[in-house]
Amino acid sequence: MNDEEPFYHNWRVLLLVFVILGSIAAITISYSNGQFHIGNNLKYGLDLDGGSWLQVQLQGAIAQIDADPGKIVQTEFSKLLNDPNVKIDGVSTSSVSFVTSKSTTQKTIDAFGFGTSTVSSAPNGSTRVTLQTSKEFLIQKYLRDSLNADVKLIPGSQGRPPTYEIRKAVTEDSLNAILKPVDGKIIPPFRVGVTPETRDETKKRLEDKLNPISFKQITITPIGDNYLLIDLPGVSIEEARKLSLTPGKFEIRIQVAGNETAHVLYGDQIIGVGVPQKEKGDSWGVSFELNDDGAKALRDVAIQYGAVTNPGAHYLSMYLDDNLVFDAPLAPDLAKNIQSVPVRSMVATTGTGDVGQEKAKELQLHLRAGALPVQVQEAGSGEVPAPLGQKFKEQVAIAGLIALILVAIVVALRYKQPNIIVPMLSTSFSEVIIILGFAVLFGLQLDLATIAGIIAVIGTGVDHLIIITDEALAGGALPPDKVYKSRISKAFAIIFAAASTVLVAMLPLILFMDSSALRGFAEITIAGVLIGVFIARPAYAVIIQGLLVEATDKKYTDED
Amino acid sequence: MDLISEKAIEAYVKNFTLKQMLIIPVILLLLSLSILAYTTYRTGAPVELGMEFKGGTAVIFDSAKTPDQLKEEFLKYPGVEVRQYSVGDRKIMEFSPMDPSLKDELVNKVKSEFTNVEIRDMGEQFSKSLQSQAVRAIVISFVFMAAVIFIIYRTFVPSIAVVVSAFADIAFAAAMTDVFGILLSLGTVAALLMLIGYSVDTDILLTTRLLRRKGDLNTKTKDAMVTGLTMTTTALAALVAMFFVSSGLITSFTRIDIIRDISIVLIFGLIADMINTWMTNVGILRWYIEKTQKPVKRIEKPKKKGQRA
Repeated sequence: MNDEEPFYHNWRVLLLVFVILGSIAAITISYSNGQFHIGNNLKYGLDLDGGSWLQVQLQGAIAQIDADPGKIVQTEFSKLLNDPNVKIDGVSTSSVSFVTSKSTTQKTIDAFGFGTSTVSSAPNGSTRVTLQTSKEFLIQKYLRDSLNADVKLIPGSQGRPPTYEIRKAVTEDSLNAILKPVDGKIIPPFRVGVTPETRDETKKRLEDKLNPISFKQITITPIGDNYLLIDLPGVSIEEARKLSLTPGKFEIRIQVAGNETAHVLYGDQIIGVGVPQKEKGDSWGVSFELNDDGAKALRDVAIQYGAVTNPGAHYLSMYLDDNLVFDAPLAPDLAKNIQSVPVRSMVATTGTGDVGQEKAKELQLHLRAGALPVQVQEAGSGEVPAPLGQKFKEQVAIAGLIALILVAIVVALRYKQPNIIVPMLSTSFSEVIIILGFAVLFGLQLDLATIAGIIAVIGTGVDHLIIITDEALAGGALPPDKVYKSRISKAFAIIFAAASTVLVAMLPLILFMDSSALRGFAEITIAGVLIGVFIARPAYAVIIQGLLVEATDKKYTDED
Repeated sequence: MDLISEKAIEAYVKNFTLKQMLIIPVILLLLSLSILAYTTYRTGAPVELGMEFKGGTAVIFDSAKTPDQLKEEFLKYPGVEVRQYSVGDRKIMEFSPMDPSLKDELVNKVKSEFTNVEIRDMGEQFSKSLQSQAVRAIVISFVFMAAVIFIIYRTFVPSIAVVVSAFADIAFAAAMTDVFGILLSLGTVAALLMLIGYSVDTDILLTTRLLRRKGDLNTKTKDAMVTGLTMTTTALAALVAMFFVSSGLITSFTRIDIIRDISIVLIFGLIADMINTWMTNVGILRWYIEKTQKPVKRIEKPKKKGQRA
């Protein structure tokens, strides 16, 4: 025995010590402005720090959709050209041709935005039109126009029907109903939700909007693809709702024909909003300024749909969360201007008198509302006042302490040897420190659910240490090294099996549940189990052998 | 003082037959299942759903008024229910889902009248989706656990014994929440899942020790039981501490729902686990070993001696 390395030189023990020191450093030392600071780096959840949380659902749907391109062109151009006799006479993968009884020009056709066209006259005063376009694009265009919503094409595999992200709350049935006139259908599965890219974009826009108006850091965490959890420390729930939910999706659309409108720009392209002012005559108005992209977009559609020449037939409408908040034609002088150059600043006039002033004030608020790519709907919310959070924090600390003392008593009654009790409790305690260090490094916040997870992990951890101890001491005395090793490997067979059942049992919480509390609980439990099984418990097996060998050696010397 | 009396365990292991061992767990399992069935008949789900799975608004606050007085005062809001939340002045009011404007009005009213107001609000649709997700999570978690057990032991009877014991633990814990009026919350779901993974720890210890260790069956069972009971007692000690501090039954400690829910469900589950591991599982496993290994025993014995030398 004596020619072997002492147990504290064993690499497992050194690894444990190293990880503990690293965790303590992660928890206590921070670096900013070129200086190290000592402090508490643990991030607490809202239920411990006080504040409000909101879980919002992103409104949208993703579906693979097939439809007949010819039917789409027929339906749409019958409407647009006001000609019930549009006939399709050729469909290929890159073009659709049709014949209309009306005479029309290439400019008009191109303006509808279905793709570049070639127009030739056909017998009996009718016109033959060939559109350079694709099925993917036609379905997207059709959905956009009939839903009055943004629709994104998600590139998929060749030869399969394309997948679309519809940025509006739709049901499978309503979508199928819309597709029916064009021989279209959803190819299951239909999924409510948005793509991760859209989710992340929405998250970023919300952060940009919320952070400047809050005193403390607001964090937004995605939960699955469909939800965002917004944590607003130190903010009341009423305020949280107002800040996060009311500013909606602001959109300007242009009237194409009849009730059909086309997208022009979103609120994020509005970069400046003036205060309500009296304009020419007695009319109230709000001036606003577009960025270059917005100005260009407005000019393009105004020219495309003919709003520059006939403003009265192509009203500009402003929508907030799909509700019409303002509509008016382009002013004649603006229409003229816009034909030659993109115009960045303009005024929306709302009418005269008090009513006009009220309307102008409201419109100003709407114009300022930041734009999100998709609408959000509140799924759940909550508020914990800061003093109560403080009380929770103290109480969990007390609960942890009492639990530790009770566990110590049970272990002491069973083993009665400080050589076992002390390493067992210290190993357990070191697991807590490592889990906390892990939480700091990986940005997990400590809330009541994660703390419950930590306590649960420590519970299983002590159990595993008991398994190691009993296996090592089977028969009462410490066996020679070789036998000890084989016993420890048996103990670890049990521990690995037990740990893997906990791991797989926790997995569904991360995979299926849109609850941040349960996800946090599962994440910390899984992390804790892995830390325990691979770092802390192997080291304990080495330490306990070392200490018991020393004890036996001493006893032997005493007897001598 | 000894934590666990080895003599008592030895006597138990030696003297109890399979039938005697199974009688208590079978009665308990049947009782649990009837409670769950009755609750399903009464409410439509085996456990009564709490606000997080039904949707609605809950406000928790300090007020000297009695629940009846508060109910009267808030009668205009839909589905109002008022209960004592913990000892002292703390009360909880729960409402069914309502209009956002009415909700704002309610929140303002509660905040202006009472102190220390905690608010929880769950959308109806979202809670419904959580409800089906929770069912799915519990089922899949159980299937995963069972798969791991079957992969580890690769023999039918020992594996099914573990899975049956775990099932009985969960059924008992869920039934007890019904008996004690604990509603299904995110906390109880977390605890049930934890229980699925955790309650098999002692079963794995028992099965591995009995199947993969050599030696006298009764001694092996006794040794496993000493270790296993120490494990469960330690866990119970920690959980009892957590429960009392978070239960709201002690003045000066306020109630913390999620910790309370997790600890109480795990306490019930572990109590059932002691019974199911050391009666159900021991019973079935010993019956299996005695049945399958009797003819083999004679061939194995000299092998054992050879290894020891």
